[in-house]
Amino acid sequence: MPDALLIGPYRPDDVLAWEPDGPRTARQFLSDVAQLAESLPDRPTVLNLATSRYEFLVGFAAAILRCQLTLLPQSRAPQTLRRIAGDYPDSYGLADRDETIEGIESVSIQLRGGQAPWPGEIPRVPLNQVVAVAFTSGSTGQPMPNMKTWGALTAVAHATGSRLGIKGGDRAAVVATVPHQHMFGLEASVMLPIMHGLVMHAGRPLFPADIRSVLADLTGQRILVTTPLHLRACVTEGVRFPPVALILSATAPLSHSLAKEAERHFHTEVHEIFGFAEAGSVAERRTIDGDRWRPLDGVRVVQDQTSWMVHAEYLPAPVPVPDRITVDAQGMFVIHGREADQVNVAGHRASLGELNQKLLEIDGVQDGVFFMPEEGADLVTRLMAFVVAPGKTSEEIQRALRTHIDPVFMPRPLICLSSLPRNATGKLSRESVSELARQWLEGQGHGA
Amino acid sequence: MSELSLLEQDIAKLIVETLKLKVDPATIQPVAALFGDGLGLDSIDALELALAISQSYGYQLRSNDPEINAIFSSLRTLTKAIEKNRTK
Repeated sequence: MPDALLIGPYRPDDVLAWEPDGPRTARQFLSDVAQLAESLPDRPTVLNLATSRYEFLVGFAAAILRCQLTLLPQSRAPQTLRRIAGDYPDSYGLADRDETIEGIESVSIQLRGGQAPWPGEIPRVPLNQVVAVAFTSGSTGQPMPNMKTWGALTAVAHATGSRLGIKGGDRAAVVATVPHQHMFGLEASVMLPIMHGLVMHAGRPLFPADIRSVLADLTGQRILVTTPLHLRACVTEGVRFPPVALILSATAPLSHSLAKEAERHFHTEVHEIFGFAEAGSVAERRTIDGDRWRPLDGVRVVQDQTSWMVHAEYLPAPVPVPDRITVDAQGMFVIHGREADQVNVAGHRASLGELNQKLLEIDGVQDGVFFMPEEGADLVTRLMAFVVAPGKTSEEIQRALRTHIDPVFMPRPLICLSSLPRNATGKLSRESVSELARQWLEGQGHGA
Repeated sequence: MSELSLLEQDIAKLIVETLKLKVDPATIQPVAALFGDGLGLDSIDALELALAISQSYGYQLRSNDPEINAIFSSLRTLTKAIEKNRTK
């Protein structure tokens, strides 16, 4: 069976990662992996919840060497973890040093440090070994599994690196604001650096001041892996950032104007990745160059009877594109929007129909509908909901809803009404809900 | 219910307006949790709130500040941190 090395072109004393207390060399990494692999329990699946990107990577690599499947939950919400643990009853949790995970048998990652010998051979991993399961959150919070082979992860890392002109041995440092348990985070902030011999920063800076201080701590070339949300925060905050060689953004569409501002602000190029958990990274573009996405090498977008499908050698079967797209003669495509029922909140996708269903299942709710307002000036546009539930307060409904849906989809606000503007046939048009939202938001503006 | 100070009232209003919460700012309990079970805020809210605080008061929050969890724990602790660090 064809295989591939666990890490890319590092010399033994090259820095592979930065932890808050200093560098970790490739030599140290392989030693940490070997030691942890020996101490892992004998189980088929592991929920890796490490918050340090380095400890996550050590745990991921150790699990791979033990042929264990790493589960990547989209959120740390206890109900999400319980559901996943329920679907994979033989799994255990991997947590940061001295941490435990509520309700799940867990092992904390203890790295002993110290000098380590360079192994005679870097471990190799079969390309067809399933190494990770990425979950699509889905509106209902019922996670849908997507299997990832080592072949798929390494192919995407190499295709992304070659598209962006990253060469082995560039020694650039990758800083990421995205979680490594998210598919884009795993691909761009873990696999991309380790396959190219780059330096992976272990932190996950959130606020603009954090991002600036992490970038300032690093020397040499810097690559920032982030989202439109964080870019907008950085640009709005207006602080000065150290120079960055490249910004890579994903999880939600980036506007031309924000991309332009970010390029000016960071003195760099802003590139975007289009992808989704089912297929991984699919295509790339420099946002200011136009709307067209160029599929990564080895990826083709092909139409079948009903929809556009992503084809790649490493995908076991073609995967449907969840957006409405048009593809030109060169195979490049333009995204026209989500399929009607789909919404995206801060990179999490859901179906409005399923969300409405969950709302209607709540005790005391007679009628209800979720609504996605037009994007405004806010960092993230949240869902709203209109509910008919006589005798219930919006707080009571929110509390009940919180246990049934992913927290990111919680409506802001949830408004109780005496009825919804259904037409004679009982249908609720998008226009009438949109009008309701407009009236409510305007009333709010005057009243505030 | 304990009384809100003037700055607490302003910051309660900033929180409600920034995060589009459907609560009356005057009813936010100064010592109740803002995140998790309290107002149910998440890390996207933390980012939005940090940005609004920076713009209104010139105080740039840092998530690697060892006090960050304490600062964000309630309206009162957040107000105290802003009072101490504000530049406008």
